[in-house]
Amino acid sequence: MASTSNSQSSIQDDDDQEEEIEHFDDFTLASSWERFISEIEAVCRQWLATGPKNLVKKDAVCLDFSKNIYKVRSELKYAMKNYSMEYYFEPFNDGKVADWISTSHDLQQSFGVKDFLVIAPQSASGVVLDAPEASKLLSAVSIAMSNSSSLWPAFVPVHDPSRRAYIGIQNMGTIFTRRFEADRIGSQVPIKLMHLEGLYELFVSKFAYSTVDLSMHLFKVHFRMKLTYRTLPTDDDPEVQQESEFLESGGHSEFETHNKIQWDDDCPWSEWYSAEDPVKGLELLAIWSERTVDSSLDMAELENASPLEADKWFIFPNLSPHLESSDGSTIGFASQLRLLVNALDSSLGAQFMEDFVSAVENSGSDNMKSSAVIPPPTVLDRVLKDLFHEDAEVKLDFADAENKNSRAIKGAPLESLFAQFCLHALWFGNCNIRAIAVLWIEFVREIRWCWEESQPLPRMPTNGTVDLSTCLIYQKLHMLAICIEKKHQENKEHPDVGDKKTSPYIEGKAQITKQSSSLLEVTEDSSGERDSLTARNDLGSHGVATSLSNSEQQNFASPTDTKLSEYIRMGSAGVVGSTMLLNSCQQMHAPFTQDPPLMTEDMHEERLKAVEAFGDSFSFSAQLEKEILSSDMSAFKAANPDAVFEDFIRWHSPRDWENDDNGELAVSQAKAGEVSKNEWPPRGRLSERMSDHGSSWRKIWNEAPSLPAFKQKPLLDPNREGEKVLHYLETMRPHQLLEQMVCTAFRAAADTLNRTAFGGLKLMTSKLGQLCLTMASTLKSLQRNSLSVDSEIIEDLTRLCVIFEHVEKLLTVAASLHRKFLQAPRLSEAIFSDFYNFYLPKMGTGSGSHDIDKSQEFTKKQQIMAREKEVVASMFTPPTANQSWRKVLSLGNLLNGHEPILREIIFSKRDHVSGGYYAGSYAGGYPQEIETYRMYLCGTSNDLRVALAVASCD
Amino acid sequence: MESSSSASAAQEFDYLFKLLLIGDSGVGKSSLLLSFTSNTFEDLSPTIGVDFKVKYVTLGGKKLKLAIWDTAGQERFRTLTSSYYRGAQGIIMVYDVTRRETFTNLSDIWAKEIDLYSTNQDCIKMLVGNKVDKESERVVSKKEGINFAREYGCLFIECSAKTRTNVEQCFEELVLKILETPSLLAEGSAGVKKNIFKQKPPETDASTSGCC
Ligand SMILES: Nc1nc2c(ncn2[C@@H]2O[C@H](COP(=O)(O)OP(=O)(O)O)[C@@H](O)[C@H]2O)c(=O)[nH]1
Ligand SMILES: [Mg+2]
Repeated sequence: MASTSNSQSSIQDDDDQEEEIEHFDDFTLASSWERFISEIEAVCRQWLATGPKNLVKKDAVCLDFSKNIYKVRSELKYAMKNYSMEYYFEPFNDGKVADWISTSHDLQQSFGVKDFLVIAPQSASGVVLDAPEASKLLSAVSIAMSNSSSLWPAFVPVHDPSRRAYIGIQNMGTIFTRRFEADRIGSQVPIKLMHLEGLYELFVSKFAYSTVDLSMHLFKVHFRMKLTYRTLPTDDDPEVQQESEFLESGGHSEFETHNKIQWDDDCPWSEWYSAEDPVKGLELLAIWSERTVDSSLDMAELENASPLEADKWFIFPNLSPHLESSDGSTIGFASQLRLLVNALDSSLGAQFMEDFVSAVENSGSDNMKSSAVIPPPTVLDRVLKDLFHEDAEVKLDFADAENKNSRAIKGAPLESLFAQFCLHALWFGNCNIRAIAVLWIEFVREIRWCWEESQPLPRMPTNGTVDLSTCLIYQKLHMLAICIEKKHQENKEHPDVGDKKTSPYIEGKAQITKQSSSLLEVTEDSSGERDSLTARNDLGSHGVATSLSNSEQQNFASPTDTKLSEYIRMGSAGVVGSTMLLNSCQQMHAPFTQDPPLMTEDMHEERLKAVEAFGDSFSFSAQLEKEILSSDMSAFKAANPDAVFEDFIRWHSPRDWENDDNGELAVSQAKAGEVSKNEWPPRGRLSERMSDHGSSWRKIWNEAPSLPAFKQKPLLDPNREGEKVLHYLETMRPHQLLEQMVCTAFRAAADTLNRTAFGGLKLMTSKLGQLCLTMASTLKSLQRNSLSVDSEIIEDLTRLCVIFEHVEKLLTVAASLHRKFLQAPRLSEAIFSDFYNFYLPKMGTGSGSHDIDKSQEFTKKQQIMAREKEVVASMFTPPTANQSWRKVLSLGNLLNGHEPILREIIFSKRDHVSGGYYAGSYAGGYPQEIETYRMYLCGTSNDLRVALAVASCD
Repeated sequence: MESSSSASAAQEFDYLFKLLLIGDSGVGKSSLLLSFTSNTFEDLSPTIGVDFKVKYVTLGGKKLKLAIWDTAGQERFRTLTSSYYRGAQGIIMVYDVTRRETFTNLSDIWAKEIDLYSTNQDCIKMLVGNKVDKESERVVSKKEGINFAREYGCLFIECSAKTRTNVEQCFEELVLKILETPSLLAEGSAGVKKNIFKQKPPETDASTSGCC
């Protein structure tokens, strides 16, 4: 055990008296110099005794640039001056000196050491200027080191800090000492030292103490080299240009007029905004592993070698500094979603969307006016045109573009009318509540126009059933689209209603007032005949016999003007196998039936409420289903004029018919069909529950008139339901609208990002999936149509925006890497996964947590495989004339005309220490080799650092 | 499980859960529901389309309102039924232990429908073999039921709507499981009683008996 007091006693006299007085150290006997040494020694002993792993647990701090290197610090005083002593160590690295790939401390690189001490005065510059002071300091450390038998190298900074000059010393056992020295030439590097030959000669001169021409001699030395290349930034950095344009346009991306092709032009988000390329460039490390050189000629040859000949290549991306900041300064979906959440917040008090628009004129609130910009009418027109001018190509097969998790978010599907509206709203003005109000009012006005004119709603399916997993506005619009389709079909068959299909959308709007009066007339006389036509159009989509077209249908159905007769079959969709009716020797026909009526979520809830209010009265709750059943029965009667109730049951609910033939239930239609004609009439009876005379089924049957579906009153009245939808849209509460917009915008933004090609990077895919789940659970609180949105929800949403921003950034990195490494997908995947792991801890929980890691830069390097070298080399496109004039090439080893931005070289000379001169400590017998000279050179054509380590026997 | 009449609409409750009964026609879904809500068994008319009942119960110290939806099971009403999957916290799949095809249809038809229409991933599913009072006619063994439940990851119970064996337990187990699932609990929380009708005209009839 080496405690502080013990170590101090080592320089004290072995005086019994003093030993008795604990913790009393009489320093009068020692000089201040000696006390200084003992202090250093004490600290070292303590660090030694604690051990690296425990130091990490205590007060060691991790260095910013590397996760592996830690340091502890202690303060000392000598001759009225304060010094700091720092111990740098790698607690999780046993013995290995850092390789050239992982980031390491400057001094580790320079001298090939692992753990070390640095002692420096705590003056402003931190540097020992005075040469005698420096060497005195160093010898103090040296003595302290040998006293504590520590083998740590120790360094003292000298000269001006910009030179990064050091001297240092290390005890190596009892015999050897290593001395270190490092310095730098900051400008005007002599030509000789720009070239490998000259550097080789510099190294050789350190041990060949001769005046002979070095170039004539052969000195075997070891050589390693690392060259760093960096891709050039693109000409006239488009970022700058673009950003200024962006500001001028008031943040509206559609104003941007790019002459240049943006890197993300084919990314799905580019329809809305252009992202900065997060990968600014690539850095390539070409490494020549250790080889022996014995003349300057070898060196000249090496300097001519192409970097393609290097033994190893590593690559890492230069990432945009904006990736690190999450202050919302980056424009993207996340930044706009944040604005939308603010709009939601400010929508809470208001009664109507119109309130926000009229506030422009009369409200005096200045802050509202200044921040809530409404874009000019031209922009509004353009947005409406985009929304309502349907491209023939708009895909309505929503499902494939979406993340499967996004269905859990109650919004509108991507590409649908409302989703497109929400995405536009994000970029309309600065997505403030007033801009949204203006856009919404115009949007609803356009929808009203489509309705009045029976024009199809763009980007909406006109069939299918209402999907209750979507937001209510989408359900309503879907319902409206179907109603319009039905109305349109009616109009088509009414020659007196003109076809307005050709009137352009925007222009047509102006005509609404003129036309609506005549349209209303049409709407009002919707009765009898018109209804039958609606019903007929329903038929084509029903499941019983869907393949029949209208004309084929005529074969079965009698002409509409024929008087109803019990004996004329109408609305048949074909016979049911060979099933025979009970009371007449005829085949059973399946009727065309009406589609069940569509119901939006609120209609379902109305039903629920009504049932609750009326108790469990069966007669009420089944009202709707009774209508459907009655409609089916009427259609069945029309298709089978001679049928009885039992026949209907046999068709409609075969299980409730028990066949007599084998005493079994006729379980399927097919089985029922097996009864051959000659066995007519079929024998059997209704199931017990169905035969009950109070059976509501029979009652309905008795009351149902014989009417084919196309003559029935439609189960869904398109005029009524469509008008209800518009009423809903026109009277929506602002917060209801904003809630649905927030959900839809999040979902649509995520689904848009989800379409990005990033080469199937698994981490990215799962992150996107995760995002959807997080969104789904956060947005749930908005999906309940609750009247109050509290501040907690707004906070949650703001947090969600931060998470969204992180994922969005990750995605741009993934997309950028993917397109850069199209030919080497392994690399994009590897680099992305490195970056992902680096970035993940920074994402935190979404609140502005302050990690100590924040400042850390992404430096992880990926080794390039031989077959990938060509691909990577081709990314270093030869510099254009414009780019190359700035630089005079002076180093060798060009890569497609690119000079390395940094050249690092290590020379070393090793000597055997078998017996003889170096014996002593290595008495083991087997020959040992130690590095006697090592020189590290690092630089460019106008900057050179040299570090030398020399081991010698003192 | 304490229960109270469902007649009074304005009862207080902590959670509202929506349960859905599905399965082939004639397996006894409506009987099961009647047996649970009014403790009786009678021969019912076949369900037309969709029906539902409301029952208030107190379970695990919580006042619960259960809205139980009963479906017809016939092809004809299938499209209408699909919309009821949404928002259901519990789905009860019923088969008749005396009719094998009602059991095989669960995996062939019904389980697929759940996957297709249920948007709630955490939704609790329960497999119920009904009519165990007709032991002599049984064709689907309990073991088969258990195996299917294990494979599909759902609860399982056998019961009889006629003798009321296990009827209470069936609903109780399902509801307890829902109470254990935080996401479902959040959905059913009474704080989010839907208010959408407050602004809608049709509410006039409903509100008369609603708030007094
Ligand atoms: N023996 C017996 N019969 C039952 C049971 N449950 C229902 N049933 C009968 O099975 C038939 C169909 O029942 P129902 O509830 O209408 O079935 P659903 O179509 O699934 O609603 C009726 O005749 C019921 O009396 C039961 O537990 N035991
Ligand atoms: Mg039933």
